[in-house]
Amino acid sequence: MTDTTFGTASRDRENRFTQAIEWLARNPIAFPVLLICLVCLVVGAINPSFWQVANLFDILRASVVRGLFALGVLTVLAAGGLEVSFASIAALVMYSVTKFVVNYAPDLGILPILVMGAAGGTLCGMLNGMLVNWLKAPALIVTIGTQYAFRGIVLTFIGTSLFMNIPVSMDAFGQVNLMTITNSSEFEVKLPAYVLILVVAACVTWVILNRTLIGRAIYAVGGKPEIAERLGFRVPRVQLFVFSFAGMLAGIAGILHVSANRLANPFDLAGSELAVIAAVVLGGARITGGAGTVGGTMLGVLLITLVNNVLVLVGIPSTWQTAILGGFILFAGLFFTLTEKK
Amino acid sequence: MAGSETQEAQDNVVEFPASEAQAPFLEVRNLHKRFGGVHALRGVDMKIEPGQIYHLLGENGCGKSTLIKVISGAHPQSEGQLLIDGTAQQEFDPIRALAAGIETVYQDLSLLPNLSVAENIGLSQQLVQSNGRLFRWLKPGQLRRTARKALEAVELPTDAKFRKTEVSRLPIATRQLVAIARAIAGKARFVIMDEPTTALTRFEVENLISVVRKLQREGVAVLFVTHKLDECKAIGGRALVMRDGEMVADCDIGEISKARLGFLMTGRELEEGRYREARAAQTPLLEVRGLGRRGGFRDVDLTLARGEILGVTGLLDSGRNELAKALAGVAPADTGAITMAGKALHLAVPNDASQAGIGYVPEDRLTEGLFLEKPILDNTVMGILDRLRNRFGLLDKRRAVEEAERMSRELQIVAPDVSAPVKSLSGGNQQRVLIGRWLATAPQVLILHGPTVGVDVGSKDTIYRIIQAQAEAGMGVLIISDDLPELLQNCDRIAVMQKGRIKAVVPADEITQDRLYVEMGASLKGDELNASEGAQA
Repeated sequence: MTDTTFGTASRDRENRFTQAIEWLARNPIAFPVLLICLVCLVVGAINPSFWQVANLFDILRASVVRGLFALGVLTVLAAGGLEVSFASIAALVMYSVTKFVVNYAPDLGILPILVMGAAGGTLCGMLNGMLVNWLKAPALIVTIGTQYAFRGIVLTFIGTSLFMNIPVSMDAFGQVNLMTITNSSEFEVKLPAYVLILVVAACVTWVILNRTLIGRAIYAVGGKPEIAERLGFRVPRVQLFVFSFAGMLAGIAGILHVSANRLANPFDLAGSELAVIAAVVLGGARITGGAGTVGGTMLGVLLITLVNNVLVLVGIPSTWQTAILGGFILFAGLFFTLTEKK
Repeated sequence: MAGSETQEAQDNVVEFPASEAQAPFLEVRNLHKRFGGVHALRGVDMKIEPGQIYHLLGENGCGKSTLIKVISGAHPQSEGQLLIDGTAQQEFDPIRALAAGIETVYQDLSLLPNLSVAENIGLSQQLVQSNGRLFRWLKPGQLRRTARKALEAVELPTDAKFRKTEVSRLPIATRQLVAIARAIAGKARFVIMDEPTTALTRFEVENLISVVRKLQREGVAVLFVTHKLDECKAIGGRALVMRDGEMVADCDIGEISKARLGFLMTGRELEEGRYREARAAQTPLLEVRGLGRRGGFRDVDLTLARGEILGVTGLLDSGRNELAKALAGVAPADTGAITMAGKALHLAVPNDASQAGIGYVPEDRLTEGLFLEKPILDNTVMGILDRLRNRFGLLDKRRAVEEAERMSRELQIVAPDVSAPVKSLSGGNQQRVLIGRWLATAPQVLILHGPTVGVDVGSKDTIYRIIQAQAEAGMGVLIISDDLPELLQNCDRIAVMQKGRIKAVVPADEITQDRLYVEMGASLKGDELNASEGAQA
């Protein structure tokens, strides 16, 4: 700017700092990577038994449902909305579908069950999308409303009691493993096949967001909806799509949840919403919309699962895990504000 | 270079309309637009010929924006016809407008801040190809080629790094060019630019004009919506003047005087000369000694007397904006001293400045100054809430309304009443609300930062009269602006800044615009704008 020369040394330092911040602003994915490395190194240093494949399997398995939720939240967030009804959608879909199959078609294969779950979730998501379009209300408010509504519907009309006699195909699907290894304490640790569903979902989400017009339209709407509309992007369609997509992923996640736990409980998954949103934000998505990547989101999910699962290994009581997670999220908030200021 | 370009361009201008006597590219006939009870367009007729430059002039609220929105398909017309190549259009919408080659560069540029340069330029094209349907593959190759070609046309970098840059990270002038690149990326036949030069420096404006000439040579029609009459005259072409929703004139802009244009736009005679008669400086009010802020400005000495109007100008990087913010406590100075009527001031936050009797009307009234959703009332009394307390310490609503109404009257704010939200007002009226808020606090010094940016001629006139009246009453006024005619018309003295320092302080009635440019360090080489301004004077 000016050709003035005051404070060269301190300005250099400032420049380097600004450069680092700018680099991170362009590569927000570095943030969860750094935190994951940090957690791994600290935990691994204190308890070397952390370094075994079995732990990795555990973390992957525990990431599946949260990961599917997170992909849905990412898609809605990229379009500038916030979706908190996904856990209720999953609960409604998983309990209704499981109960239906048990009572009316106990021999149904896993594929049709997954399709039913996806379809049910899509319908719930479409309802969200239509409400957002009709009411012209903020997505957060609408989905808080439907969150209660969906949960109320499942408990009032479908049932309140958990049952363990889930359909055979679902039970079997939860037990299919890609790999089985024996860990140091002679325990068999398995990598379940349903992890692949998360991998496929992540790839599909990535392709939609990055390689299709609707994907670019999602980010356009999340950046500046009024401008996107003026440019000819049909905003209501984009809204309908993102909520339906998030609903579909939630429906699938619900079915997987039942298969993995071998029981259907309509009270499950409640209260998992904020951790999922936190994962997406830790992964570099802006809470105000228009930004976020599939890779970052997956890393955010990994980070949260890591904190939830492995801190026990170093003797940190589970009550403390929540506090540490809170610390990370505050740190993330601070970090992303810093990068926003450019 | 610029001269020969103009010559070429003119040769072409003659050619195009003469080549064929076919239907114009675009024609509107008896166009009406009503918003609820408001009759915004009252039977507008207009013809747009290929390869011609148009300037759409008129006061804020005259219907210019509405007309543009109808032409670009953003609003359906209530009545009347819209013809493209002689064919009447039914159910005209943004996609159809784009498909016909009508591109609009809105004042806010309509760029998506979180997408890359290439995406901003090339996505619309793919959207048009898919007819608005979204379940289509993105074509990255086409995106790249389109972006490259368009960026080349506006002389921006075409490399992958630039194409992938997020638009929010670009400076405003570059964004302007990106917006134009997008407009011409498709098969643009008619480009509408809504106040394209407001945020640009002189050099950037010239760059823009050369891009426009290039378009013109390719047979593209260009329509500027603007308030800068000097600029229009320098560019040349046809003037389309609107007033109260009607088209009142369509003529060659070279053959009509500024005074006549002003009259056509406002329906009244406007002041052309100086608003101010110079007077001797009286008692010093605000004194600034050795003021500096790292990376902004330094060694600034200034004195502002009671009743004086002092202008500060300079190029964008001269430090003028930073100086304004330092005096307002927005971005405080880190060296030097400020005294007000002999008392030392320490301005660390904006509240320090307002407590000391310094009012600051920021440049960007939309984001820095006004609460757009709130009514005039709230915006006006915001600074004097403590004075409007009743005996229970609560806001005395009746007095607040009285105060706001008095201010509205004094500043001639055009609004149904003081409960109208500020965003419903025109730019000039918004600016008056902002000035009114500060006048209500009765400051000793008023700092006006770009007081008439984006304000039409009629409103400018009103605002200048307000400024003069305040100075008359003893207020010290500091105008920080790059609108040189504005400073020449209103100030006693003008301080010119260059590279962070005050380069000269000159009496406003003894200097010309050209001299000011030289002092600012602006390049005058090949300066066609300037020549025409000189010819005007």
